[in-house]
Amino acid sequence: MIDEALINRVTRELYSAALRKVPDDTKRALARAIEHETSDASKSILRLMLQSALAAESSDRFVCSDSGIPVYLLEIGGAARWQGDIKGAITRGFAQLVETIQPPLLKHVSNPLTNERGYAGKDIPSISVELVDGDHIDITCVPKALGSGRWTQIETFIAPSLADIESFVLDVVLKAGSQHCPPVIVGVGIGGTFDHAAKLATRATYRPIGSINPEPTLALMEERLTEAVNATGFGPMGTGGVTTALGVHVDYAFGHGYTPVAVCFNCWINRRAKARIFNDGRVERIE
Amino acid sequence: MAEPHLSLPVSRDQIRELRVGDTVFLSGEVTATGGLPAHKRMIACLDNQQALPVPVKDALLHLPTMMDERDGRFEVRYVNPTTSTRFASFMPRLIKEFDLRIVGGKGGLDAPCVEAMRDTGCVYVSLLGGGSPILSDAIEAVVQVGWLDLPSHFRLMRLSIRELGPLTVGIDAHGNSLFEQLSSRARERLPEIRRRLDERRESSLHPELK
Repeated sequence: MIDEALINRVTRELYSAALRKVPDDTKRALARAIEHETSDASKSILRLMLQSALAAESSDRFVCSDSGIPVYLLEIGGAARWQGDIKGAITRGFAQLVETIQPPLLKHVSNPLTNERGYAGKDIPSISVELVDGDHIDITCVPKALGSGRWTQIETFIAPSLADIESFVLDVVLKAGSQHCPPVIVGVGIGGTFDHAAKLATRATYRPIGSINPEPTLALMEERLTEAVNATGFGPMGTGGVTTALGVHVDYAFGHGYTPVAVCFNCWINRRAKARIFNDGRVERIE
Repeated sequence: MAEPHLSLPVSRDQIRELRVGDTVFLSGEVTATGGLPAHKRMIACLDNQQALPVPVKDALLHLPTMMDERDGRFEVRYVNPTTSTRFASFMPRLIKEFDLRIVGGKGGLDAPCVEAMRDTGCVYVSLLGGGSPILSDAIEAVVQVGWLDLPSHFRLMRLSIRELGPLTVGIDAHGNSLFEQLSSRARERLPEIRRRLDERRESSLHPELK
């Protein structure tokens, strides 16, 4: 049986781990990017990024000072057996983490009505729940900093062509320019409703870099959009180069003829940590 | 070019030797903050001719800092740059009135700032976002802290640094901005990028989807 104490512990561990470790797929993508970069300056910045990632990991420090907004995704298996207040366990787990984590977090969560700063508040930690198959609960933790997140855009088109959609993605990329700590992971959500498109774009950024989109139309779109985004030339840290995106990930849902298209970004450190909790209490770190 | 190791304070002539794309390391004392309230208060101090709690001179970095206070002494736990453009509206005046030689953070600054930097003799240095372990190691000591009522990363502080970097000169003192150059070049390239997208899409699509 999965209980509150277990969820509470995993909540704390995942957040702390996500702040200190750049995911392996992202480190591999950075290493590949060094091979492709054409100037010494952009290669040096990518090397410095890898050096920072490895230093954080080996010395148990944060990669970035912005611990962001705590975001948790719960995927609950149909055969998972659990009891108690799971959402409450996450909220309390995060509050305990804030009290105990070393080094301490900065106050990055704001009340938008007063601009007062803290660590949590109404609806934050952000917790969303999906029902899936299996005898386990997966928890994904994404400390979402808005240095990259602020460049997100959504627009609703009238029966757009693929060309219209791709053109919009490029417009958003150009607007973000040098400022979102590139190379980024670009998430694109097409269709559904307003909130659904945003969710698709966000979740698309969680996909491992280099994984092939199962939808052939989108797999091709991802390939050509990655080439297009990298042709803009903003490069690592936005000071020039051929690596502005480590990947473009696209997902879609059926919808109305009025089609929302959402575009979002994760900065190069691409923080996420994921664990699977089995009914017997075993915990397996997936990412 | 060789990577220059600049020791603060630096002269206007030293700064004018730098060009966009150069790499530098900084040592000496810098002023740092990551907060909008601190920028508003700096402007208010200028307006009201009030003294600042911490000297703003030589270098002002958009570098939020997590610090601990122990027995009345402050110790830096970690630093990391923040996006400079949100302070852009304040920066021309701060650059001019405090006669700054170096400003920095990440993501660059806008055209009015570039102009102020050219007039004054000032460069913008880009720090590695997500470079906290490397950058934090370059912080030697907290010299002074002001506006303790604000959260740690919003305070105004004077830091002693050693070999902070490598930093990329993103805007030089001659009116050149790497950020503006790259943005213009991306806009110029856009028609060709769109044409290439169209070409690849056309060649891959099923005829009925075209």
